Amino acid sequence: MDRSLSTRLVGAVLRCYPAHWRRRHGDEAAELAALLIGDGTPAASIALSYLAGAARERLTPRPGRRLSTAACALLVTACSLGVSAALLASTVPARAASTSQTSGRAHCRPGPAEPIPGVIGAMDRPQVIIWEAVHGRSC
Amino acid sequence: MAADRRDGRAGQDVLRRVGEASVLILISLADRPRHGYALIQDIKELAGVELGPGTLYGALDRLERLGLIESLPADDRRHPYRITAPGAAALRVHLDSLERVSAAGRLRLRLGGI
Repeated sequence: MDRSLSTRLVGAVLRCYPAHWRRRHGDEAAELAALLIGDGTPAASIALSYLAGAARERLTPRPGRRLSTAACALLVTACSLGVSAALLASTVPARAASTSQTSGRAHCRPGPAEPIPGVIGAMDRPQVIIWEAVHGRSC
Repeated sequence: MAADRRDGRAGQDVLRRVGEASVLILISLADRPRHGYALIQDIKELAGVELGPGTLYGALDRLERLGLIESLPADDRRHPYRITAPGAAALRVHLDSLERVSAAGRLRLRLGGI
């Protein structure tokens, strides 16, 4: 490969690294690549090594980045909890409405409940006890 | 305590998980400071391993973050790196551990008659 083409290839790959890395190692990395190419190392293999290094550098969590990752995770959790809560809240009134009609009869209300045909008249006792006897519930 | 963990004073082998490249770099820096190109050449001669430049810089950054090496002021554009006291201690612990494993392996081969 032509030397200037090799240099351009390595330069392009080095631009894949984060800016802070380039500030720290950029010049030295370019010089090292030139020395290795001078020794006969194929430019493509150097470029590939730098490309893998750039990917690793971008994917590895750094101490400074760990906080922002944690903050993002917290935000996502909060959002999903919020959505779940909203979904739950939208279904609860409907469920409450559907169950209140049946459970309203079942529990110990002192007032007169709906009479059970054939039972109340015969026993002449408070309806709540009759209901319990029939359904096996207690308050 | 963090320093203990880093430099191996607590007897833990902190280099067990850093990878072969990092260990080879520490071995190469054990006698004197070296910059990137010299490290690649030395490791090739020492262990027959050709470190790619991307792997080299990844390992150097990691070792520096762990406080096991430090970079010296640049001469021209090259940064020489030097092993630190915690780095030397960690390397010693790691090499001792390798020696124990190696001795056990040789013993078992002898006992197995292979």
